[in-house]
Amino acid sequence: MVVENLQVTPLVEWLLGAGWSSGFLWQPLGTTLLLVLLVGGGLGLLFALRYSSAAPGPTTSLLMGGIFGVLSLMVLSTVALCSTLDTRNWLTDNIAMPLFAALVPVLGSNWSGGALYTWLGVATGLTGVVYACGWLATILVGGPLVGTRQCGRAAIDIVCDIARISARRVFALAWLAIRESIRRRVVVVFVVFVVLILFAALFIKKDSLHPGQLYIQVVLNFTVYLSMLFSLVLSALSLPADIRDRTLHTVVTKPVRKIEIVLGRVLGFVFVGTVLLGGIGVISYGFTVRSLNHTHQLTADRLHAESLPGNRGKLLRGTTSRSHEHEHAVMIDPSGEATVEIQKDHTHDLYVSASGDNPIYTLGPPKGLLQARVPIYAKTLSFLDKTGKPKEKGINVGDEWTYRSFIEGRTAAAAIWTFDGLREDLFPEAKFPTGIPVEMTLEVFRTHKGNQEKGVSGTIALSNPQTGKRAFLRNFLAQKFATDVQMIPRSFPTAGRDGKAETIDLFRDMVSDDGRLEITLQCLEPSQYFGMAQADLYLRAADGSFAWNFCKGYLGIWLQMALVTSLGVMFSTFLSGPVALLATMFVIIVGLSSSYVVELAGGKMVGGGPFESAVRIMTQDNMTSELEKSLKTDAIKAMDEATSVMMRYFSAVVPNIADNDFVDRVACGFNVGSDLLARCLLCELAYLLPVILLGYISLKQREVAQ
Amino acid sequence: MQSEVVIETRNLSKVYRDFWGRQKVRALKALDLEVRRGEVFGLLGPNGSGKTTTIKLLLGLLYPTSGQALVLGQDATEVAKNERIGYLPEESYLYRFLNAEETLDFYGRLFDIPRAKRRQRAADLIEMVGLTKSRRRQLREYSKGMTRLIGLAQALINDPEVLFLDEPTSGLDPIHTHEMKALIRKLQKQGKTILMCSHLLADVQDVCDRIAILHQGELKELGRVDALLKVRDVTEIRTSGLSLEAQEEIRQVVMKHQGTVHSIGNPTTTLEELFVRVIAESEAHPGRRVRAEQADRISSSEQG
Repeated sequence: MVVENLQVTPLVEWLLGAGWSSGFLWQPLGTTLLLVLLVGGGLGLLFALRYSSAAPGPTTSLLMGGIFGVLSLMVLSTVALCSTLDTRNWLTDNIAMPLFAALVPVLGSNWSGGALYTWLGVATGLTGVVYACGWLATILVGGPLVGTRQCGRAAIDIVCDIARISARRVFALAWLAIRESIRRRVVVVFVVFVVLILFAALFIKKDSLHPGQLYIQVVLNFTVYLSMLFSLVLSALSLPADIRDRTLHTVVTKPVRKIEIVLGRVLGFVFVGTVLLGGIGVISYGFTVRSLNHTHQLTADRLHAESLPGNRGKLLRGTTSRSHEHEHAVMIDPSGEATVEIQKDHTHDLYVSASGDNPIYTLGPPKGLLQARVPIYAKTLSFLDKTGKPKEKGINVGDEWTYRSFIEGRTAAAAIWTFDGLREDLFPEAKFPTGIPVEMTLEVFRTHKGNQEKGVSGTIALSNPQTGKRAFLRNFLAQKFATDVQMIPRSFPTAGRDGKAETIDLFRDMVSDDGRLEITLQCLEPSQYFGMAQADLYLRAADGSFAWNFCKGYLGIWLQMALVTSLGVMFSTFLSGPVALLATMFVIIVGLSSSYVVELAGGKMVGGGPFESAVRIMTQDNMTSELEKSLKTDAIKAMDEATSVMMRYFSAVVPNIADNDFVDRVACGFNVGSDLLARCLLCELAYLLPVILLGYISLKQREVAQ
Repeated sequence: MQSEVVIETRNLSKVYRDFWGRQKVRALKALDLEVRRGEVFGLLGPNGSGKTTTIKLLLGLLYPTSGQALVLGQDATEVAKNERIGYLPEESYLYRFLNAEETLDFYGRLFDIPRAKRRQRAADLIEMVGLTKSRRRQLREYSKGMTRLIGLAQALINDPEVLFLDEPTSGLDPIHTHEMKALIRKLQKQGKTILMCSHLLADVQDVCDRIAILHQGELKELGRVDALLKVRDVTEIRTSGLSLEAQEEIRQVVMKHQGTVHSIGNPTTTLEELFVRVIAESEAHPGRRVRAEQADRISSSEQG
């Protein structure tokens, strides 16, 4: 199991673009002005709309409808121009680039890469397209004046409805949704989970090399599927059932705004989901911890003494008793210090409580099975080929999955991780007295068997990218996918350039002034290869609480559940129950595989788009050969181009549900950072707002009684 | 003096269309109607005549194809008007997993009524409709009559100015029917305007001030119940077939002999007879419509 994309851009940088700090708006004065404008103006408008009961007159509606109409047509034209490469380039060169440049002093350099601006752009585009289509349709039906007035009135009504939301009504409707969920026996989900957990021990592999990962994955994945299922069923079927049973008639004839109905449903179902997830989470945590907790017996008769050379005393070696399908090799040196071998991702503390002929050995609970490592990843990973020339990637040993690159043993080939922003205060001496831990998980590709037990030897060295100073750290033995921990001492002796021994101070000599450090890895055995990716080597900066990290895993599931719930409610505002269910499922599937859809929309797939692929399947043509040039081929490619435009827009708006999946991260023992968590929460909000708004508009336009 | 108009339809039409936008049925054709404050107004018509469509349009459950529906001076699609109206649907479309108290509390919350006031109001209404003993039972356990009663209670939770009652007496036993009619009259005395539609003509005759008869989406008859039921071409005296002069002569004769004339006038028919006659005429002469102004004039002259 691999956790990809571990690099997380700092939150503000991701939100506002890389050079945000240079923008006037994000200086103290600019931010203050923005806040005054948003809070003062926004709240003023909100209160004015909330407490004014007057409906907009025909002139106001006409005026606003006209303004919105013109603006939306501009947006629609822009979207249309973006559909083809030539017009998109023209638009970029003549309008977008000058606009970007003009806004740089205000928003900072590279502001266009900020997620906030992208969201605003997409939201504006969607709103514009929807309004323009609605406007044109009403003009066709009722004529320009009536159509414009109706659209203007509808737009004003939407703003007024949002401003006039009543918390009491929303909570009443949420309470109703909760009662409805209880009536629908939602508690069955909880029972199903408990039954699954009770029998989990029957199908969880006992001899797994990574039992911690396995148990966490099992419980979290159970939870993901169950939560998706119940939120999908509850949210997509509820509103259509109310419309079918006409219970909604009695509700909408009360002073209830349609947005309150949508909000109430979403909040109610999310509350039910939260309670269920809370209960399931507690059971899961207890199950995981209790299932993995174990110890071993170690008695004196399981140890044998080995005399150390030079009459330095006796070394005791042996193995612990077998428990949970494994045992640990134990070594106790003459001073009484014990080392327990790492097996299945964990070790144990060994306490010797009596001396002499009858020592009592006690092993503690497993250490390292359930952890939340806080890694610092390298900024870049670069390679040297076997002649020592820099390369972007290593070699491919024939894997279809190109996530890892390989370096050949006993050549100049090397992998170089460059860290950035390292400071001594990140690793205080009190916390890291012996040095800085470097953890690495390498793939070992053997072209000959060698000594399977021993592992393949490699070497690790440090260098300062500023001064070019290089220091050999040590050799090591690598087992395939075994996590190896190497300590970089704060100071260590090494051979200098002149051959004389010198003492290296890590932060003074090896880390550049701007905090960069290079760690170089080489394989030492001929015809053997090390495979690595950027995330395979990191500095272990701290350890978070596993329990809290487990909660974060559940928070990710909660985010997915909330998104599915709001999507289900949104679709159910204009579709019948089963169709809403299918539509939500479709979005979930696309959301879970959005990276594939983006790739498909980008035309990067071998074998062409959907139409070309279909033709290839029917004609049994292979994927890599070019299609024969003909009118038919041109038509197929044109259809694929049109599909790819639609898919591009579609993939831009479909939520990437997989982004909120922290299961692998938690299972692999990596801490879910606050930046990542905040980013996922903001992304969730960015989707929930338009989804709820869309649901409200659909329900508002719908004749409830028809 | 004419009292304030609280419900008004102007040229109100509704066309139902299929998925492709093709016309399925024209449910309502240019309906002009006015209901004044304090009136109990009955909407009558056979199945498919457009009366439920009219009520749904007035409640904002449907949107008009053309024309306007106004309630309390506001467009029927305005949410704000719902603050002042109550609606008892035909089948009491209530959440059957709630009990009576929870139902009223829920609808009270939708009116943003504060908790204490809501509870008091709910208790009063439950007592008023006689469901105190069953207030903790889920509505799924209620009989149809009890469901109608709790439906009425929810319609009154906000003390509305205008009440829309769809078949208020359907499913009620004679005792409850009697109570429901008494309640409607009581609500009228409190100044509430009531628009009801019903198939039970005797009930409509008992409680309504004015009625409108719809057929095939068109208004066929409109006016005061007593005026409409009056048989104008028949004079009811002890004997029949007398002219006015003869009546006067008879009156003179009676007075001459120190007698008292109790009544000389037109007899009334039943609403059922009127209904059947109007529908039969409408079938025979399709397209004939009563305009609101004309009907009002008739009803005013009758009152005058």
